[in-house]
Amino acid sequence: MSVSNLLENWAQVRHEHPNNDKPHDPYKWAMAIDLDACTGCNACSIACYAENNIPVVGKERFQHGQQMHWMRVERYWDEDGREFPDQGFQFLPMMCQQCEAAPCETVCPVAATNHTADGLNSQIYNRCIGSRYCSANCPFKVRYFNWYDYPTDEMVWPAEMQQQMNPDVSVRSKGVMEKCTFCVQRLSAAKVKAKGEGRIVAEGEVQTACQQACPTSAISFGNLVNPDSRVHKQWAAQQVELDKDKQAKNEEEEASELRGYRILEELRAYPSVMYLERVRESAV
Amino acid sequence: MIDSGSVKQMAGHPFDRRDFLKVLGWSGAAVALSGCGNTSVEDGRETVVSYVEANDYMVPGVGVYFNSTCAQCDAGCSINGRVREGRVLKLEGNPDSAINKGRLCGLGQAGVQHHYNPDRVREPLLRNGNKGEAISWEKAYALIAEKLAGVSGEEIAFLSGGVSGHLKVLLGNYLDSLGTKNHFVYEAIAPSVVRAANLKAFGVEMPRYRFDKAQVVLSFGADFLGSWVSPVHFSQQYAQFRKGVNGQRGVLIQVESKMTLTGANADRWLAVKPGTEGVLALGIINALGMATGEVAELVKGYDKARVSRETGVSTGQIDKIAALLKLRSPSLVLAGNAAEGYAHGSQNAAAINLLNQVLGNVGKTIEAPVSVPFPQMVPSKGNTVALKNMNDGLAAGKYKVVFNFAANPVFTAPGAFKFKDNFAKAGFKVAFAHYLDETALQADLVLPLDSALEDWGTQVPEYMTEGAQINIQQPLMERLHANTRGMGDILLGLIKQKKADEYKGFEDYYAYLRGAVLQNKGALGGGGVEDDTFWNDTLTQGIVKLAGTTTSLAAHASAAGLVLPAAAEADEHFPLHLIPGVTASLRDGRHTNQPWLQESPDPLTTIVWDSWVEIHPKKAAELGIVEGDIVQVTSKTGSVKAQVYLFPGIHPEAISIPVGRGHDAMGRYAKGYGVNPFQIMDAVFEAATGELAMHETRVKISKTGQRVLVVKDEGSAGALQMGRKIAGRVSTDQVDLSKEV
Repeated sequence: MSVSNLLENWAQVRHEHPNNDKPHDPYKWAMAIDLDACTGCNACSIACYAENNIPVVGKERFQHGQQMHWMRVERYWDEDGREFPDQGFQFLPMMCQQCEAAPCETVCPVAATNHTADGLNSQIYNRCIGSRYCSANCPFKVRYFNWYDYPTDEMVWPAEMQQQMNPDVSVRSKGVMEKCTFCVQRLSAAKVKAKGEGRIVAEGEVQTACQQACPTSAISFGNLVNPDSRVHKQWAAQQVELDKDKQAKNEEEEASELRGYRILEELRAYPSVMYLERVRESAV
Repeated sequence: MIDSGSVKQMAGHPFDRRDFLKVLGWSGAAVALSGCGNTSVEDGRETVVSYVEANDYMVPGVGVYFNSTCAQCDAGCSINGRVREGRVLKLEGNPDSAINKGRLCGLGQAGVQHHYNPDRVREPLLRNGNKGEAISWEKAYALIAEKLAGVSGEEIAFLSGGVSGHLKVLLGNYLDSLGTKNHFVYEAIAPSVVRAANLKAFGVEMPRYRFDKAQVVLSFGADFLGSWVSPVHFSQQYAQFRKGVNGQRGVLIQVESKMTLTGANADRWLAVKPGTEGVLALGIINALGMATGEVAELVKGYDKARVSRETGVSTGQIDKIAALLKLRSPSLVLAGNAAEGYAHGSQNAAAINLLNQVLGNVGKTIEAPVSVPFPQMVPSKGNTVALKNMNDGLAAGKYKVVFNFAANPVFTAPGAFKFKDNFAKAGFKVAFAHYLDETALQADLVLPLDSALEDWGTQVPEYMTEGAQINIQQPLMERLHANTRGMGDILLGLIKQKKADEYKGFEDYYAYLRGAVLQNKGALGGGGVEDDTFWNDTLTQGIVKLAGTTTSLAAHASAAGLVLPAAAEADEHFPLHLIPGVTASLRDGRHTNQPWLQESPDPLTTIVWDSWVEIHPKKAAELGIVEGDIVQVTSKTGSVKAQVYLFPGIHPEAISIPVGRGHDAMGRYAKGYGVNPFQIMDAVFEAATGELAMHETRVKISKTGQRVLVVKDEGSAGALQMGRKIAGRVSTDQVDLSKEV
């Protein structure tokens, strides 16, 4: 894409979501994660490494903050003044929230990260020039930069290990930004197959790697515009609307008995991931 | 997904498994399977089958899935391996398994890194001084025959990890042919004391636990979500338990001195003084006021004040727990590693089982287990008594020939055993190994094994769920290295040295396995089905489901013989308890060389690639220690140095070091990372069973003056959300779960 072409077509590259200039039809991929089911076991994270050819950077680079885990499990304990975490820790699987109005997209000088019609925040590796503006502007800190040429690193991917790589996912070279894609290779395969059969992808036909691995089924993923999808039903039951930065249920006088929320909603990034609060028993 | 579609297509078209292997790319597969002749991936290159003629299930660019069984731990999860162009790429759960129902933990998924590990042993190696010299298999077999000649059964020892299925049968037959009874089945981390206590209380070693039926789970240190018995299965039941019935969510209370992954998910986590789990259990029975007769008599002395004083749990908390257990029934009470790891571990477990019985849980959330109707195939369960017995024999110089398989005792034996020195006293040491681990390095002959994704086998899980099952293990791809062999093939080769006539009908282990399965076709649910059809169906499914036999469950937990010792005296020289931390991904350290596991942050501390000493912030302040200080941890047996991590989820009188790291062998991803707390473990034994009491080691710590930056995933804010709602939390009285999808 030349610069003039880019400027001319800026509105196409950077159309406003989640407003109606481009309705999500027939797909809007979204997620719901139940933090009460999440045990923090890391199966999702390792599944992501296996599926998406994520490099294992090693101890020293990890210390420099160069780890590449697209899916990480954060853990919190912040009940100040308590001697013990006597209600357990709080775990939170965190990956790209596929924001509808993604702060990372607006700052990319070369439009290497942009929005797809099915509601993904996509990263075009061979357009990326490595300015890292996107990472700086991401409120969730889920973008990972290739400081090294990992595919040629003998410690990261010795010849034997290279045979494990998923041929459906490109490897990334030095100087390129990467992040969770909602397993776009799986989505594409499913979409192509469905299109060939003259239909849209059905509920349950495609799973992300993290969702598939999760031992407690804490993660649901699907097409938000499909009223039959579990993810649509969950968002609806929790009264979380994609295009709101303040949910109506939180404005009501009576406190809501629903536990669906989006992280840092007030920043108006309109994330595509809804979390369900962790529940703790009040009787003990 | 296209890939999933192709699995379904395949399910309807059974095909010849060996044919599949042939077209994987290299025609050497059949020869390789036969277990004789050296084939490398380069051999027969000229006969590579062109894709133009490939079978209809081989479409370039499309993955096909084959069922097998995860070998990363003994839980027996069924896997679905994604294979493309002859290479296995990813392991997923098999949805048809009642154990893992399509799910797979991180440890299981890292199985591909076991297979593709660059540090696998590739040739039979014979010790020559300090080096291993590559030799041929023929020479290796001949050498074993030579060393066994004239050696009596008494002078042979075979150490192995837990084995089951046909491999167990074959191994048993081999040991019979050698005339030895010295089979030591050793697992460094196993619920052996709990098994013994269960056998006493319920008549079975491992009943079926129904988390999904329980309204309250009270766990004394059982890390069932992380590393205990069958974590993926339990995690699924846990999810159901949390959803509950009619919005009545299950409540988890975890009692332990060092927080486990399960503890981190508890509604209430209680830090008890190390070793007082049984006291708390009896205190709860007392507070319930439901016991009668001799049980009431037993718990009479365990009033709240005393129990609170001994355990450190407040009287108010004991009341709340008792009230909740009374209100919500059935419940489930579990005894785990932390309860059984003391010299009085059996007593702790007995007290906990008694609480189950008083609450009426037996028969409700504790059910009779099923087992396969073939007793010769049920798993032989490893324990630490076996290691001790073998170690005693080694120390006495009893053994002329020693075999080691699926265990790494030089790494996992407690330092006080001096196992490495004793092992050196054995005459001729043979290790069957995937990697040159600490034990293989001490061996005289190392025989390289096929990876779990290259080998044939059957596996019977100890813990089964709905009905019994025999799991099938089959190659997901051609051998990566031409000169490795399957354990079954090696055993068959060895047994033929002794009983050539009896086994001459079996060309290889595959033939043995196929023969054995087809011989029992009727009992395996294949009565009246063609042999080939049944065999192919079995391989396609990867699981043989059986009706199974149910052992009946008793409820004879009793107060008889239940005596808890007085609280342990503080040891002024070694004031702290050492708790060996068992993590979900590293377990006893046999998979530490899988880089995904090294770089997967510990869920609780978020530390990667290293060991740490967990210490309560209060204790650390007292000792003037801060995060990253390198401290020396000294026990009666030895000492290690490691970085400190301040961790609130530990009792101030204890410290914890995770096991699994600290290898000085096992290749580039394991060697030199962290320390091995097994090395400083004292030899203290559980009184009733003789098992190693892993929580009994006492230590002192001292600063070394060095400090490092702890390499961890946790950000600069530590565990704090700084007032923002990132990980949200709500209490049960503020939420209505019944409306949820």
